[in-house]
Amino acid sequence: MSSAPSENELATLWFLTARAMSVAGGGLSASRQGAGGLYAQAMLGISEEACIQAKSDESMASLTLLDCLARLGHVPKDVGERIMTGVMMIAYSDQTMQPLEVRWASMIASAMSMDVDDFQRCCVNARVMSSMMAQAPDAEVPDVPEAGAGA
Amino acid sequence: MSDGSSNFGFLDRCDPRVAHLARQAEHYVHSDPDSCLFKLRLMIELMAKRLASMALPNLVAADLSSMLGALERDGALPRPQADGMHAIRRDGNAAVHGNPTPSPTAMRRLRDAHRLSGWYVRNVVRGAKVQPRDFVPPSAPAGTSSEETEVHDRIEELEDRIELQRRRTRESLLLFRDDEHPEGVQKRYRIELKALEMVAVAAGEPLVDADFVALVMAMDLEAIYEHPSFGLDTRDARRRAEKQLADVKDVLDSCEHDYLKERAELVKEMQLLKRRQLRGEV
Repeated sequence: MSSAPSENELATLWFLTARAMSVAGGGLSASRQGAGGLYAQAMLGISEEACIQAKSDESMASLTLLDCLARLGHVPKDVGERIMTGVMMIAYSDQTMQPLEVRWASMIASAMSMDVDDFQRCCVNARVMSSMMAQAPDAEVPDVPEAGAGA
Repeated sequence: MSDGSSNFGFLDRCDPRVAHLARQAEHYVHSDPDSCLFKLRLMIELMAKRLASMALPNLVAADLSSMLGALERDGALPRPQADGMHAIRRDGNAAVHGNPTPSPTAMRRLRDAHRLSGWYVRNVVRGAKVQPRDFVPPSAPAGTSSEETEVHDRIEELEDRIELQRRRTRESLLLFRDDEHPEGVQKRYRIELKALEMVAVAAGEPLVDADFVALVMAMDLEAIYEHPSFGLDTRDARRRAEKQLADVKDVLDSCEHDYLKERAELVKEMQLLKRRQLRGEV
């Protein structure tokens, strides 16, 4: 029986799943570090407070990835798909594919009893987001010309 | 500083242009905070260009934000320094575009620039044993009214709140906390992932198996490589994605092979044991 997780449960679940994908990808790049929290807040609707709480919570340190898979099996389908999309976005963020990433994605999808069509849909969404993030122009004003600078 | 000396004298030997800009910023901090920010922004742009020329030469022509981002991703710019540089960049840009800068804000960024300069010298000049003196805020002009002091205090308070909010936002966005020793946590996850992989190889995944995931990921990666932001042509994108798929499949096959080999050895051992039992040897 699946029931919507509370905001704090969702935050814990998300950060565990996303961290594992980041590690499976071979390391912690700056883009992955930032993408994790950005997705949590923008797409999963987790508040800044809950994001901080999830990472400072002792319970997160005591949860294993097996616990994580077990809990993923109980989230509603729509939440599960959003988690899967975010996790794949993290996997795509460095534009490479590692065997452990493949395995972790497969384990998550299986834990959530996801079928191949749903999985593919999540991957397409993840790919689009990943491309957008790589393309996103910096909120930068034009550089200040050096010549003539001054008061 | 009231005696005419500068907080940035230690920069002279390492980078005279940067030192000159720092002195100008120091000079303007009370009289013209906008110009102070303007000078500081140029100063960190020069710093970033020099760092980029050492670590990522093809980036020197990029805009400042991209350069800082790339340096941080490359590991050439630690996070605290990147934060300080971004703060100067943001406030400098605001000043350039006509947003008035209060003097306390300019003083904060000047302090940041001093902190950054010590790190910069140590990284640009190999083996430099520079120990900058503590930052001494340039003295305010005489005759500051109590109203002005009060406004300055309120601005300081506001700056503190903004700083705190920035830290919280940053903390909330990161996958791993700054104080978490990511190496230890990553090691733990890696061990767990490996263990789960062994279980998955033995038990299999019911619906979405690893081969299928690898295929889907390879197709998506091919599309990502073809995306304008990466700019590979169709043939190169396909070649690169296929290479990754082949590499991953090799590893997956090797795991499967190891598992089957281990299982065959166990079966063999069991058969031997059974035969010895039948012969009454055990």
